[in-house]
Amino acid sequence: MRNALTASVSLLALGALAACGSEDKADAKAGGAAQVNVTMTSGGNGDQCAYDTTEVPAGPVTFHVKNQSATGITEFEVLDGERIIGEKENVVTGLPEVTLTLTLGGGEYTLYCPAAATEKTQLKVTGQAAKATGSTAELLQKGAAEYGTYVSGQLDDMVVAVKALQTAVEAGDLGKARQAYADARPFYEKVETDIEGFMLPGGDPSDPSSSLDYLIDMRQSSLDPKLGWSGFHAVERDLFGARRITAKTEKYAADLTKNVTTLAGVAKGLTYKPEDLANGAAGLLEEVQSNKISGEEEAFSHTDLADFADNVEGARQAFEALRPGLTKLDASLVATIDHRFAAVDKLLKGYEDDSQIGGYRLWTEALRKKDAPRVSQPVQALADALGGIAEKVATA
Amino acid sequence: MSLSRRGLFASTGGGIVLGVAGGYAAARATDGGPDHPDWIDLQRSFEFYTGDHQAGIATPPQRHCVFMTFDIVDGTTTTDLQVLLAKWSAGIAQLMAGLPVGSVQPDRAGAVPDDTGEAYDLGPAGLTVTLGLGPGVFDKRFGLASKRPKRLAPLPALPSDTLRPELTGGDLMLQACADDPQVAYHAIRDLARMARGVAHTRWTVMGFGRASAGAGQSTPRNLQGFKDGTRNIKEPADLDEFAWVGPGDDVDWMTGGSYLVSRKIRMDIETWDGDDVADQQRVIGRSKIEGAPLSGTKEHDKPDFHATTDGEPTIAQTSHVALAASENNNGLKILRRGYNYTDGLNDLGLLDAGLLFIGFMKDPQQFITLQEKLGRSDLLNEYIAHIGSALFAVPPAPRRGHYLAEALFVR
Repeated sequence: MRNALTASVSLLALGALAACGSEDKADAKAGGAAQVNVTMTSGGNGDQCAYDTTEVPAGPVTFHVKNQSATGITEFEVLDGERIIGEKENVVTGLPEVTLTLTLGGGEYTLYCPAAATEKTQLKVTGQAAKATGSTAELLQKGAAEYGTYVSGQLDDMVVAVKALQTAVEAGDLGKARQAYADARPFYEKVETDIEGFMLPGGDPSDPSSSLDYLIDMRQSSLDPKLGWSGFHAVERDLFGARRITAKTEKYAADLTKNVTTLAGVAKGLTYKPEDLANGAAGLLEEVQSNKISGEEEAFSHTDLADFADNVEGARQAFEALRPGLTKLDASLVATIDHRFAAVDKLLKGYEDDSQIGGYRLWTEALRKKDAPRVSQPVQALADALGGIAEKVATA
Repeated sequence: MSLSRRGLFASTGGGIVLGVAGGYAAARATDGGPDHPDWIDLQRSFEFYTGDHQAGIATPPQRHCVFMTFDIVDGTTTTDLQVLLAKWSAGIAQLMAGLPVGSVQPDRAGAVPDDTGEAYDLGPAGLTVTLGLGPGVFDKRFGLASKRPKRLAPLPALPSDTLRPELTGGDLMLQACADDPQVAYHAIRDLARMARGVAHTRWTVMGFGRASAGAGQSTPRNLQGFKDGTRNIKEPADLDEFAWVGPGDDVDWMTGGSYLVSRKIRMDIETWDGDDVADQQRVIGRSKIEGAPLSGTKEHDKPDFHATTDGEPTIAQTSHVALAASENNNGLKILRRGYNYTDGLNDLGLLDAGLLFIGFMKDPQQFITLQEKLGRSDLLNEYIAHIGSALFAVPPAPRRGHYLAEALFVR
């Protein structure tokens, strides 16, 4: 599991080539850009990246990158310090040359060829230093702040929704309680990777009874027999499994309200870094893969596909918050992720069913057996691509 | 000193180990060693960029093989497919050289490893990865219909087919064979990961123990305990005649390529094991230990299909050997390169195992002709069922600086 708040994750050069060799280098030349030819070859000393020049004047610089025979190299990056300011993935033997044009101010830059015998080479840019704009970083920070507002809103709504669930349970209205259960789940599912790991104030990290995540979202697979059932899935078990409301159900619902209220209190007002959003989005897709497609999350209500859709929606919100900055960093990765979100959306659309609680077909064992393989692979493809964002935005 | 798996296996250093079958033979013959036909050198590697035939076809079969097919994902563009084939090619070249594909332990803490790492210390282990293109590559999705290999179409329904749809077909295929199963599995794992979002897994078979002989090898046994592949083709002249697509045989870009037919053949293990040896030998047409045709005494004796015993053919006319023999099929031959497999236990608690048949030929009709006959009357059909099936065009290998099936994308 990725820890949304601490871990950072990185890039896989997977299928992100938007337009292989189709960029028009004539444009760059017409603009008077300096030219750097980058040639990758394989030789006795391993794979090499060779540059026809490592000194250029400040201004637009076009890199012509051609992998002639270096099978170990598939990408090329330009770094300003540790910051990636431009990169090309899928620079693969046999494919046409690709170009990358950047406007560089005077100073030292690093040309980075991952997996080459010599990975890093200095590029000296002569002339006036660039003005520090930091625009990409600013865009990402702005997105992260907006996302913080989104999470707060979800937490507020979650408190209201679990109160409604508690009210329906206390009224003994099974039908209404089931609907209220389904109505409350999305708020948790959309932001669960942002709030997991929170403890009751003063709690012991090794004691599940002080973990809010356990108290709110424990299920059969994470059941600690000593502590017993609690939270959403204890209520679910009674409403959809036993199909009756008892005094215990009422206690579960009341505790749920209490714990969700506590969670909202500790988690609201948190600030997020851009890589937290990226890790959170990838983590939500891991949730889909490991708990929803397996049918483990909603073992009694079988509304796993609704949770699935909410996890995807939460990931989309995080991604959208990063989009303006990420587009500047790696537009082709953004295009790949858009493409993969669309594939998952299309897949989910096929399961919509308004007659069911949650709005999707019930993810029963029979359906799961039949469809899980075709569902899981597009999800993994999206998760992989989202996993490539964190390192990019962390260094921007 | 770090103890690598190779170190554990090595008998004389240099990563050389004697395979199981070879070990037995050597123990009996006392003349084992590097000259033994089944001696394995885990440092051996094969060249990917031959510019001629892909490795893993005429290559004498390694001990283990993982076979996997893939469906190309909806919405994949021709460029996506092109990039995948280029990346797979570069990746395969790395893997066959015993090198990781990208970093196993990136120096930036935030980076996800590119290579999954489990083969890091294992050497090349004779790995070959062979790519095939299914009929789907040439459907309307990618604008490649005009380049379709002439004989590439789904196999027709054949007698006794018991195919399970989830074990058939695929748009792309990888066959990774190596003398260490972990090296073969690692290759497939890395390559499947590289394809994600463009091509997704369809069906796979983990093969263990080669079930056919290549040049210079002794004949192994399949799970029925009989030698398999005694009369397999090995000589270059036979390969040219039956396995390689020659100039003018097919579309130009397939010259030097081949067609691969794979069949997952389930064996009814318990039933076979309960059959008496005389019947087992009658079904196959050979003796069990020596593997001699029932008309002869030595494995490589030429079968005499006219020999009779007590007025009956010595080799039953519907025995497996008689039906498959080139003498009885107008000289027709194919290159076989199969592996044993097991999937554990079936729903009945019985051993779920069999043979992954892999055959290479210049025209899939060679297989169709043979299987129409075998499927109809092979005595062996009582003990086996063909449950998986697929056909692929296998392009020739690229030259260095190029990639597999590059010709498809050249306008």
